[in-house]
Order: sequence, then C-alpha cells, then structure tokens
Amino acid sequence: MSEITIAARNAKGEVTVSRAPYFPRKKKTITGRSIAVLVFLALCALFFCIPLYVVVVTSFKTMDQIREGAMFSLPYVWTLEAWDHAWNSACSGINCNGLKVGFWSSVSILIPSLILSIGISMITGYALALWNVRWAGAFLFILFICAFVPFQIIMFPLISMTAALKVYGSIWGVALVHAVLAMPVLTLIFRNYYKDIPQEIMSAAVMDSGSFWRIFTEIILPMSGNILIVVLIMQITSIWNDYLIGVTFGGPGSQPMTVNLANLITISTGVTRYNDNMAAALLTAIPPLVIYFFVGKLFVQGITAGAIKG
Amino acid sequence: MSSRILPGLAAGLLLGATSFGAMAADLVVYHSWSAAPEVAALNVLKAGIEAKGHTWTDIAIPHNTGSNVNLMSLVTGGQPPNVFMESNPGVYRDLAGMGFGFPLTQWYTDNHVTENLPAAVAASIAVDGEIVKVPTALHIDGMVYYNKDVAAAVGVDPASWTSLDAMFADFQKVRDAGYAPVAVGSQPFQVGYLMHALVAAIAGPDIYSSIYGGDVDPAVFDDPAFAKTLETLRLFSQEAGREAQNRPWNETTNQVITGKALMQVHGDWMKGEWLGAGKVAGKDFGCVEIPGAKSVVVTVDAWGLLGGVSDEMKAAELDFASVVVDPEIQAKFSAAKGSTPVRLDAPAASLDACSTEVLSILADPARQVQSPNNTVDSDWQSSIWDVVFNYWGDPSMSVEDVIAKLKDNYETILG
Repeated sequence: MSEITIAARNAKGEVTVSRAPYFPRKKKTITGRSIAVLVFLALCALFFCIPLYVVVVTSFKTMDQIREGAMFSLPYVWTLEAWDHAWNSACSGINCNGLKVGFWSSVSILIPSLILSIGISMITGYALALWNVRWAGAFLFILFICAFVPFQIIMFPLISMTAALKVYGSIWGVALVHAVLAMPVLTLIFRNYYKDIPQEIMSAAVMDSGSFWRIFTEIILPMSGNILIVVLIMQITSIWNDYLIGVTFGGPGSQPMTVNLANLITISTGVTRYNDNMAAALLTAIPPLVIYFFVGKLFVQGITAGAIKG
Repeated sequence: MSSRILPGLAAGLLLGATSFGAMAADLVVYHSWSAAPEVAALNVLKAGIEAKGHTWTDIAIPHNTGSNVNLMSLVTGGQPPNVFMESNPGVYRDLAGMGFGFPLTQWYTDNHVTENLPAAVAASIAVDGEIVKVPTALHIDGMVYYNKDVAAAVGVDPASWTSLDAMFADFQKVRDAGYAPVAVGSQPFQVGYLMHALVAAIAGPDIYSSIYGGDVDPAVFDDPAFAKTLETLRLFSQEAGREAQNRPWNETTNQVITGKALMQVHGDWMKGEWLGAGKVAGKDFGCVEIPGAKSVVVTVDAWGLLGGVSDEMKAAELDFASVVVDPEIQAKFSAAKGSTPVRLDAPAASLDACSTEVLSILADPARQVQSPNNTVDSDWQSSIWDVVFNYWGDPSMSVEDVIAKLKDNYETILG
C-alpha cells in the first residue's frame, strides 16, 4: 500500500514512473496529552448526556416509581404510556388532544414563516450585494443596528401594527413577525455570500438582457445551495423552538407546539406528572434534531463555504 | 333517503334553535390551567355555560408573572378574551384604564352572592372598593397535611395539637420512630409562604395586615409576637436536611405521601398531589390548620369579565359569573379541582374532610386574611422573601438581624 507511484510522460513521450515522496504517518501513541483530551471530551459529553439520560428514562417510568425519588434508576417496567399520553391526550387548557394538535399547528406556522423570512432576506441581500442600490450602505448599517434590538422591547408596537394589518392572531401574523425579526441577520448573511460572486458574472448576465428577477431565478438562486442549507437549518430551529412570538401573535387559534408543551409542564396548583413532561419535551425537541441528522453534513459544508470565500 | 334527510333536518333544527335564542354567545375563555384536575374543574364550568346556551372557546397560556403580559397582548391586538383567570389587582386597574373594566358590585348585591362569601374572599375580589372578580377556587396558604398511617404508627394525633408548642413537643417521638417529623422544601417561595402563614397564625391578623396588607407599618416588627414567629420559623428550618435544598413543594409533599415524613405545612393545593396519588382525605391523610392559629391566609383564584362589550355579550359574561358562583356548581368544581368552594353555603354533602375543615375555619370573619399577592407591593414581598430565606439558610443570623434588615428594606422600598 505504501508503494505509491506516479506515472508521467516525458518530452519524448516515454512513460516514466517515479516514487512519490512518501512521508510515513506517525504511529498513534497514547500520550498524557491525548488522555487529557479524551477525559475532557468525555466530561463534556457527560455534561449533556446525564440530563438527557434522566429525561429519557423518566419518560419511560410510571408515576409511582417517580414518586420514590431515585431519578437515575432505570424503569422497573418500561412503558410508553407517558409518550402516548403526551402525544394523544395531554391537555392544553380544556382541549385534551395531546401535543399532536400543536405539532401540526407548528408545522403550519413553520412553512409560511420559512418561505417569507428566507424569501424576503434573500432578495434583499441579492439586491444590496449585486445591484447599485441608492443608500445601500446606510440601509445595511440600519439593518445591522436592528439585529441588536431585542424583540421584547418592540413587542407591543408590533402587536398594534399586526392588528392594524388584520393579521394579528393568525398564522400569517406569526409568519410576518418571524420574517421581520429574522430579516436583519439573514439579509446580512445573504448579502455577504452574494458579494463574493464575481462582478463579471453579473455584467455578463446584464448584457444578456437579464432582468432583476431573471438573473435572480436563473443564475443566483442555483448558486445559493450552500447558504440556503445554513439559513434553512438556522430558521427551522429558531422558528420551531420559538415560544414568545407564537404565543403573542398566534392568538386563540394558532399557537405552536411550544405553547402546548408549556401548558403541559407549567403547573399552578395541579399535579406534576414528570413522565408526561419528559416525553412531551422530547417529542417537541425531535423535529429540529431530525433535520440536523438529514442535512447536518451539508450544514457544515455551507458554513465553511461561506467562511473560506472572499 | 331518510339517512340523508335526517342530519339535514337536525342541522336545520339546531340552527333554528340558536337563532331563536338571541342571548347565545361564544365566550372566549382565557386561563392558565392544563393539569388533569384543573381541566376536570373547567369542564364543570363549561357544562354550566353550555346549559345556558353559550359556547366556550378556550385559550390556555401558562403564566407565572404578575402582570400577565399575554392577556395584555391579546387586548392590545384587538382580540381580548371575554373572561380571563386573573387575580392580580394591577391587571384590573390597567384594563379599567383602557375602558375594559366591568364593575360587578351591583350584580353581586342583586344576586345575594356577597353575603355567602367568606370575608377574605369578599375582600380579595374587590379592587379599589369595587367588586370586579368572580371567585372560583379557594386555598389556604398554610395548612398542616399529615400522613395518617405514619401518625398511627408513631402514636401521635395532629388533630389534637392545640398549639405549635404541643406540635414541636411531639416531634422527638416521631424522630425516635424513624420518620422525619415535617417535610420542608428550602426554596424562597416555600419559605416565604410558610413565613406569611406563620405570621397570620402566630402574630395574628393585625400584625399580618401591617406587614402584608396595603399599608405597611414597620413598627410591628418590634412586636414580641413577630419575634416569636421568626423563632418558630427557625424551628422549621432545623428540620430541613440537605435533601430539602431547592426541593419543589410537590416533591416535598411526596415525602409525606410515601410515608417518609409525618407532615407538611404548605398551601392546601397539596391536596391535588394526594388525590393524584389515589389517597382519600380523612382516611389516608388528615388536614388541620396550623395548631393554635390566630388566623389563616386565603388565596382566591378568580375570573375577570371584559367590559366595554355589547349588552348581549355582557349578559353572556354575567351568565358565566352566575355559573361560577352557583353553590351546586362550586361544589362540583371544587371536588374536581381539589380546592374548597368559595361559598359558605356550598352543599355540605359534597365536601371532603379537608374542605369541610377549611369552610368551618372561614365561617369566622375575624380569623382570615388575604394572600399577600393580592395586596402587597411586589418589591416589598420579594424583599421579605429574600431576608427570610437568608435567615432560613443561615443559622448564625439572629431574629434581631432579620428585624433590622426588614426595617432597612422598608426604608428603601416603601419609606
């Protein structure tokens, strides 16, 4: 295996074969340093895994066992009751149809929010990076400042605005607020990605009488795969995990899964059912995890593509 | 053929019925309850509303903050609920300021409700002298709940204690038998609640009102009865082991349910945990007020009605109120929730042992005070919690230190 050879033709057309320079890899030895690294990494993993372990085993226990108080013990009887209850019959207020109601509500919030937030920021970023927009610098600066405004301090004005637009209390209200709040950061991300596209491509496209939209759909969009994956994952995670925007702008009918979850686990004067709570928390956390598993590799590629360019 | 006609006919009849009943309305009900007993209790109300021809649209959002931001955002967004569960008087003042107040004093008088409410309930549903809330559930902030099996095994009878001294005197016996006498959770909230329950019990309603009432008088801190209260709190803190550190109240209750400890002193919402574990009041567990208590602290869960709506909607909201305070419905509601009816004339047969005990205490208007959450400045309350919790955790802190610190805080916050 170590006999790596390189074949090449010399000036006369003869094939010469030479050994490639070969640097043997150092054999891995266990040193003090590698042990320290391993121990550190193991501790880091434990730091996250121990609470996760407790959450998982608790979700499979019965309440009688939980009342005994030994939280690290394995369930005497493994039961899916809590999972079934959390998904199918947990109460959010007077409606006891489980988290599945909130799940579909979250999905129906997620899709328009994704399309709206990514669509708006992508086009804004494209315009700012590749077209001569008057006051582009000032505009970018304002967006940059907006990225630092906490949502809580503009919440009530936003409520009044969405109420005036007649979208308060609907999925569209939630989607609009997600789009507006995500716009500063996402626009900056897209703008920085697009500004590395060579000017020549743009010039050629303009010469070929491409319009703003045609260049976008036929040239820019196909080049945006990497960054789209990054932004998609960021947005799916933040929209799915969002509680405050959903609870504030969703109104009576369209509250996301996180609100159901909060209803389930926040007790005022009732009984705490830890197994149901843990199962519900896991059910709520699963969708973004699944997304990570499927596109996580692309995510890393996308991030590094953005980082190395320019 | 008939199978097609019948549903259509039924739908037509239903439509006719709803359009005939001009008073029928859709009530949007905002609350923060989702636990099983709470939902069962809400369903009792829902059945009552539907019997009056109205429908119930539910919004459940959990909240733990005093100002109830979610309610306010629904109001600001132009989609306010018709009835909402809220006890904080500040929210009612805000709503009245926005034109959504719904004064109810006249309605209460006309319907003879007020005279059947315990004094502390009547006081806590009024804001600035006007009744604006509809009381739905009642809790005592400091009750002694004890495990009857443990009591029998040790040979003590908590019901026979006539003073706290008698109670503490029995503790050694409990310890000798291998049980913890009292389960406590070392958490600011639990210690704060224990403190105000003890102030009401030991120092009495007058001193309580001077600390936790609307007008605070720092002179009462020098009263020997207040020092006595702090000394008693110290005795409780000595029962807190390492495992009590930051233990939530319901886990503390489970120490008693599982027979590791004899008793717990906490709000009687602990009954929910007992019932959840399948125990029966009076048989598996007993409940008494703090032995020798001069007064008890009453927490009231209440609904508010939205004002500034059409007359038709107002009538529907008042229908809701009349369902909530109906004695029969109160009894069913409390049985489902594990609370105590807010009416002294609730049918006695439907009450469990603990609710009977509570209502017999509350028959005496002189022996009850309102929960601080209803009256006191929230900064002042959290400063008391803070001082008392430090005292709880630090054995070297003396009663004099606590009093000095409280006076100091009074100067800063209210002085």
